[in-house]
Amino acid sequence: MILYEFEGKQLFKNCGINVPQSQLVTLADEEVTIKGPCVLKVQVLSGKRADVGGIVTVKGEGESVKGEVEKLFGRIVNGEKVDKVLVEEMVDYDREYYLSFSYSTESRGPVLNFGEGGTGVEGKEVKTFQVDILKGYLGENVPEELKGTAKKLWEVFTKYDCELAEINPLVVAKNPSTRSARSGQNYIMALDAKIILDDDADFRREIKFPERNLFGRAPTEAEIEARKIDEGDHRGTAGSVYWDLEGDIAVIAAGGGGSIVNMDALVAYGGKSANYTEHSGNPPREKLERLTKIVLSKPNLKGCWFVGGTANFTDIFETLMGFVEGLRELSPKPNYPIVIRRGGPRDKEAFEALKEIGEKEGFDFHIYGRETPMTATAKTMVDLAYGNTSY
Amino acid sequence: MAILVTDKTKVLIQGITGKEGSKVALQMRNYGTKVLAGVTPGKGGQEVHGVPVYNSITEALENHPGITTSFIAVPNFAAFGAMEEAIKNKIPLINVLTEHIPVQDSAKAIALAKQNGVKMVGPSSIGIISPGIGKVGSIGGDDPRGVYSKGSVGVISKSGGMASEVSWILTKNGIGQSTVVGIGGDILVGSTFVDLLKEFEKDEQTKAVVIFGEIGGTYEEEAAELIKSGGFTKKVVAFISGLFAENLPQGTKLGHAGAIVYGEKGSYKSKINSLKEAGVEIAKTPDEIPVLIR
Repeated sequence: MILYEFEGKQLFKNCGINVPQSQLVTLADEEVTIKGPCVLKVQVLSGKRADVGGIVTVKGEGESVKGEVEKLFGRIVNGEKVDKVLVEEMVDYDREYYLSFSYSTESRGPVLNFGEGGTGVEGKEVKTFQVDILKGYLGENVPEELKGTAKKLWEVFTKYDCELAEINPLVVAKNPSTRSARSGQNYIMALDAKIILDDDADFRREIKFPERNLFGRAPTEAEIEARKIDEGDHRGTAGSVYWDLEGDIAVIAAGGGGSIVNMDALVAYGGKSANYTEHSGNPPREKLERLTKIVLSKPNLKGCWFVGGTANFTDIFETLMGFVEGLRELSPKPNYPIVIRRGGPRDKEAFEALKEIGEKEGFDFHIYGRETPMTATAKTMVDLAYGNTSY
Repeated sequence: MAILVTDKTKVLIQGITGKEGSKVALQMRNYGTKVLAGVTPGKGGQEVHGVPVYNSITEALENHPGITTSFIAVPNFAAFGAMEEAIKNKIPLINVLTEHIPVQDSAKAIALAKQNGVKMVGPSSIGIISPGIGKVGSIGGDDPRGVYSKGSVGVISKSGGMASEVSWILTKNGIGQSTVVGIGGDILVGSTFVDLLKEFEKDEQTKAVVIFGEIGGTYEEEAAELIKSGGFTKKVVAFISGLFAENLPQGTKLGHAGAIVYGEKGSYKSKINSLKEAGVEIAKTPDEIPVLIR
């Protein structure tokens, strides 16, 4: 989960990193107590806010900023509607740095990324240093004046289980122009915060944050519903990863890896997918039933592709019967072609049942087993859905 | 001879009293793998499918000093403790099935394993199978025989499902496998393509290797570097997935924790280009693999 700047700064404060005095404005007509000179920053999840007018500077001493804040509300910044603005005191500074901790697949452990010189991240030369996770970060590889802050950022990174904890810019503020600067080391300040939390550590993180979406838009109803399927039921997964896309072929794919392979194949044959989702492990029937209903509730579908490889241990009969249960509950009944390709435990039993159900209940099933290449059925799906040929 | 799982493999199961642990215990035994003991704290003295359960690894090792491998199937919140216990007892190979382990815990376990000279495969690993010899983990399910067959091609896959699909495609075309390893699709994994290519390089039974990779991270690019620098000399065929995701917003996560869209770095193009440059044959669909591997 990506945090908003104001949320990230709260974590910074919790670990003793200095941030400018600020006020989070959540209503357009809210009273703003911070006066100019100050900076107004829209709270959106995408980077590069400044390039699109998402950061406004108010220079006048004692100037009221209410009008400026109001103007920002409701604006669309990088596809995201602004409903929160962070008003911060202006900080004059001498030097600025880039500082972050993240995980590197190259060293297979945490790394410190540190950069100095220049303005903005592009102007800084950022170097990466490995951190020994068994010893922890002890202040190495940064200038003396930053050691304290860097150690506190490491605390943020580990205590809150972050995938990324980034301060850019980290500045050495001028005294005494900064109102919150008090003495010595307090002049080191984080002017921005970017935090990505590790979702797999949600179970032990003390602070919870509300749901948000990566796509710079509110999650769709289907996305919210799909992600609920796995809640409180650890038997396999279905729908935990679900994205609505703009195409017209519904895809119910199996396997974290296989699902991506098959999406690639569909695109390669000219198919447009209505969604991306996957199920894996051994989900019970009910999970597939719910996922099927969600995926196929979209309007104007031209086809449905239930596809997966040759499973190690997924019960193919159970998952496909769950799919059928979902189909039966749809209204109107799907009349578009449904291409099924699957292999694994109990697959033959599943196919026999499907054949009978298809004939009796009038579903346009096209059933393929492990002898048919799974990516070849992408072409079958595309041809059938777009009427290129008949099967 | 195969790699990692051989006729000398003797397995301990951490989490044997759980649903997954007990199921896999039976599967492994049915496939001819020696399962000597299980560990679940507080449940020592019980038996699971005839396998004795101990409270700790130390206790299990006292009674079964021949253990070579630990298979870990515990819930994610208990996984670090389990990995740490196995590593500190210096069990030579640990295979972690558990998914959704916090990346910080994986990083610690990987560092500890390195420090103690322990090989770690996983987290989120479907397992390791050396067809005809034995298996560790869920790989192949109840009956691996139809899908996996003995031969000379090694398979390394980030995806469990694709390990199976690729092996089935090979088997269907009369090509057997030496060892098939699911390395897991997490951001940080105990064994990467490079680690296992080095094992396959030393293995006489293995004549060629298939790599199944996907977008995110740098493990495929590192494999390309190894091959380019002459560190792996046998034939390699690779299949990389994730092209469709190139146009999705940065930070989008797909089916695996490590499959993250991040601009240029770790992208489909970056992986394909570096592998091609290293002379690796790229399969456009999984079904091309048998043609390219011959």
